[in-house]
Amino acid sequence: MALRLLSRRTLGSRLLRNRSSLASLHSHATSFGFQQVKEEEKSKLVGNVFTNVASSYDVMNDVMSAGLHRLWKERLVGKLSPFAGMKHLDVAGGTGDVAFRIFDAVNSVKRRELRKVDEASLEETQIYVCDINPNMLNVGKQRAADRGLRDNKSLVWVEGDAEALSFDDNSMDGYTIAFGIRNVTHIEKALAEAYRYKYSHQLDFSLSECCILSQCLITLRVLKRGGRFLCLELSHVDIPVFKDLYDLYSFQVIPNLGELIAGDRDSYQYLVESVRRFPPQERFATMIADAGFEKVEYENLVGGVVAIHSAIKL
Amino acid sequence: MYRTAAKRFLGVGFTTSRLLRLPKPRPNPTIITPYSHASALCTSSIGHTESPIGNQSVNPNQSDPTAASSSTAREEGPRRDESSRKKPRAEFEEEQARVLAASLRHVPRLGWTEEAMIAGSREVGVSPSIVGSFSRKEAALVEYFMDECLQLLIDRVDSGLDLQNLIPSERVSKLVRIRLEMQIPYMSKWPQALSIQAHPVNVPTSFKQRAMLVDEIWHTVGDGASDLDWYVKRTVLGGVYSTTEIYMLTDDSPEYRDTWAFLDDRVKDAFDLKKSIQEAKYFAQDIGAGVGKSFQGLMNGVMQTMSRRGGSSAF
Repeated sequence: MALRLLSRRTLGSRLLRNRSSLASLHSHATSFGFQQVKEEEKSKLVGNVFTNVASSYDVMNDVMSAGLHRLWKERLVGKLSPFAGMKHLDVAGGTGDVAFRIFDAVNSVKRRELRKVDEASLEETQIYVCDINPNMLNVGKQRAADRGLRDNKSLVWVEGDAEALSFDDNSMDGYTIAFGIRNVTHIEKALAEAYRYKYSHQLDFSLSECCILSQCLITLRVLKRGGRFLCLELSHVDIPVFKDLYDLYSFQVIPNLGELIAGDRDSYQYLVESVRRFPPQERFATMIADAGFEKVEYENLVGGVVAIHSAIKL
Repeated sequence: MYRTAAKRFLGVGFTTSRLLRLPKPRPNPTIITPYSHASALCTSSIGHTESPIGNQSVNPNQSDPTAASSSTAREEGPRRDESSRKKPRAEFEEEQARVLAASLRHVPRLGWTEEAMIAGSREVGVSPSIVGSFSRKEAALVEYFMDECLQLLIDRVDSGLDLQNLIPSERVSKLVRIRLEMQIPYMSKWPQALSIQAHPVNVPTSFKQRAMLVDEIWHTVGDGASDLDWYVKRTVLGGVYSTTEIYMLTDDSPEYRDTWAFLDDRVKDAFDLKKSIQEAKYFAQDIGAGVGKSFQGLMNGVMQTMSRRGGSSAF
């Protein structure tokens, strides 16, 4: 009996208990994987996922993607074309994969072009790494220290919510979010802004898509004119046979791997389900365009398993 | 065929993007009317560009280009509130053109490189990140320059260049000279531009630009041929232009006198070559006719012999 009660302490049962008290407009359900939970709980759950995940994040990434995630991140940074003197913001980049690549790219370029006189390159490059989870940031800081970059002023580790960015308007040349935009919840203010925008522009988005829209609007605010937004994210596969193989791999293999290596089946189950809930490439591109970006493009990698969306603020 | 400015900017783009969704057609004051000499209205100086809008070229259907693994979406303005919405596509293309134009000013110092483009973007007041969005960055700058030069050439021609008193070979010389003189400010860095154009990824575009240039020159000279001659003429002129261009790279004479002498010689050779090809063609035809006649005669003889033989004897 006790065991059964214990097993009923799932997220689903929490919803059942609270359903009757769901009166206010603001506490509507949002999705956590395939389960419906209240919003306030979602950020806690996401937080839990990543606290569990942080320590074995890098290892799991390598195993799940067979090392391909490194190539994807290389491609992302290649598309960004970093330059000396750049102010860059990498969101949800706790362990610093993308940030380190940008740092390396900038410094090698700078070394090559030292002969060129460019007053603006006297400005320091600043790469801000923002993450809601301090554990991820700590892993990142440790990696920086290992590379001898502990005291380097270019890399700045900021703990914060992607939706409540404390950066000034029009201050960033670039904004990247790698495998993070799926996990944005929304805070009141950001969501309200997204709703207002949606209604004033008569756009046709579902409630959950408004979370993503709010993220795009925040990005738009923070970027300078000409600044670029790049998003690397797991996306939808359409190729017939490959799609089935991918689904099989996602639902059968990954949660088991998660249990084996990270000791956490649920987190990876959530991960795989959230990928399916995320809008497909075209839809996401439309959302970015509707938020006010120009030249919205996307590139599929590995047949659609991963997609890089890019856009410019003008 | 390649006559108009609008067509040029359609074919040669620094964006590889294809439209996924077109905004609803609305009167766009910055569109330049194509297919008319009014295209000469758009600028006669390199510094300032009015961006010819490439709306017309794009596939008008609204379905996905599914074959491509990368595609573009355009901003869908609100359907009911068009007038207050800015023209996003036009503005973005203009911005790109402005950045490239500003970058050209930095090329003599920094070369055809990303640094020049970054400096140009800073000048315009846009974040240098925009440079990352150009596909094949340095090539975009070079191609922009080539387009600008072609446009300038057309403008010079349209605004009354005196070609009436010249024979065709001299007209060709004059036009090629005008075009090459536009490259003089960048001569120190031109080898770099040539190497960028020769890069396999960039060859299709640079080839097309040169083809358009050569076609433009022949068109101005007054050539209306549309048979095999058309290709021969363009190829020959393309060769003349390229060799002169390369000769110019190492020419130290005052005001490039040696280059223009070289050019005149090559053009004369080309015209002589044309005549000799004509003569060779007629010669071959004559021989062919002669051979054909004698062959026919031979066959007739054989047939007659056989019929005579066949009639008189019984095999």
